[in-house]
Amino acid sequence: MLKGLILALLIFVLFLTVHVVLFRIRVPQKRFITNARIASVLGLGLIVIHRATPPDLGILPSVYTAAGWAIDLVNGLIVYMFLFIGYSMFYFLVDRGFSGRIMIEIENSPQRRLRPPEIMARYPLEAILQRRLNEMISIGRIEERQGRYCNKAKGRSAAATFGFVKRFLQLGEGS
Amino acid sequence: MRGLVAGLLAFSVYFAIQVLLFHYIKVHRRAFALVGLWLSCLPFYAMFYGGLPDDPRMWPAEFSAPSDNITFASGGLLYFFLFMGYAQFIYMAESSVGIRTMIELDSEPERGLTVEELIKLYGHDWMLERRLRRMVHAGYLVEENGCYRITGRGRLVAIVLAWFKKWLRLGPGG
Repeated sequence: MLKGLILALLIFVLFLTVHVVLFRIRVPQKRFITNARIASVLGLGLIVIHRATPPDLGILPSVYTAAGWAIDLVNGLIVYMFLFIGYSMFYFLVDRGFSGRIMIEIENSPQRRLRPPEIMARYPLEAILQRRLNEMISIGRIEERQGRYCNKAKGRSAAATFGFVKRFLQLGEGS
Repeated sequence: MRGLVAGLLAFSVYFAIQVLLFHYIKVHRRAFALVGLWLSCLPFYAMFYGGLPDDPRMWPAEFSAPSDNITFASGGLLYFFLFMGYAQFIYMAESSVGIRTMIELDSEPERGLTVEELIKLYGHDWMLERRLRRMVHAGYLVEENGCYRITGRGRLVAIVLAWFKKWLRLGPGG
């Protein structure tokens, strides 16, 4: 099953390269959706390359080529998908992490120390909320009506699902 | 398939125990509990893998793989990846501002809420205090006379995150 794993790693490296080059040249409007689209296209590429290449990729020892093509492909796709999910976690941490931003603000302050009101002044809740609201509008979860924000069907469904999970697992109000 | 099925079964056991634990007991150190439980369930993976038959006895040739180290590692990887994905889901449910916002908006389905009303519902002080407390607990910050000072560990994380933000041109974010 080595072929699927090798192809998954190579395609994931290709995804990272395309993603970084694209963001370095011009940051897309819908950042995460763009990442997901690149990953999906390359995932299809992984399937095509897997089917078009020999089981040993011309270099692998025969001991690693005994698996059936389907399990090898499924395994490769699982690894590729989860590498993308793992990277997305890191990406969200960098892009949206609340705690990360607080640490950066403290690090950039003259004495490397701040009081809560100073953190709030540099990183206001209104800015945090406004960004989330704009993103949720762009992905069709909520809508704005004369300065008021309302859930759309997708937002209601997400609110119901996560509301249930929070209650059932006793996660508290959160945020 | 043997490794993947064993990984899936082990994760199912982990998932069932975790859900029951969190449902019946109010867990305070959730990250610790999630990771600790995942590690405790690792023997289930070995047990399921050992108990399943070799692929050729169960699956057609296309889905059969020899029971070697790669098959064992692939299943272990699936168990790990499923946990990572699930932990991200729990983190979202617990801490995502977007998710919390949609839940708050659901309380006023027709009229909706303004940004000011949402801010009142949130309570910035509480939200910030919660994060600061967590970062102090994790060793990223130290509290000194009501001031939060960044530690060496926190500086490293801040510098790495700031570098990636700059490199990917993501803006200040947060």
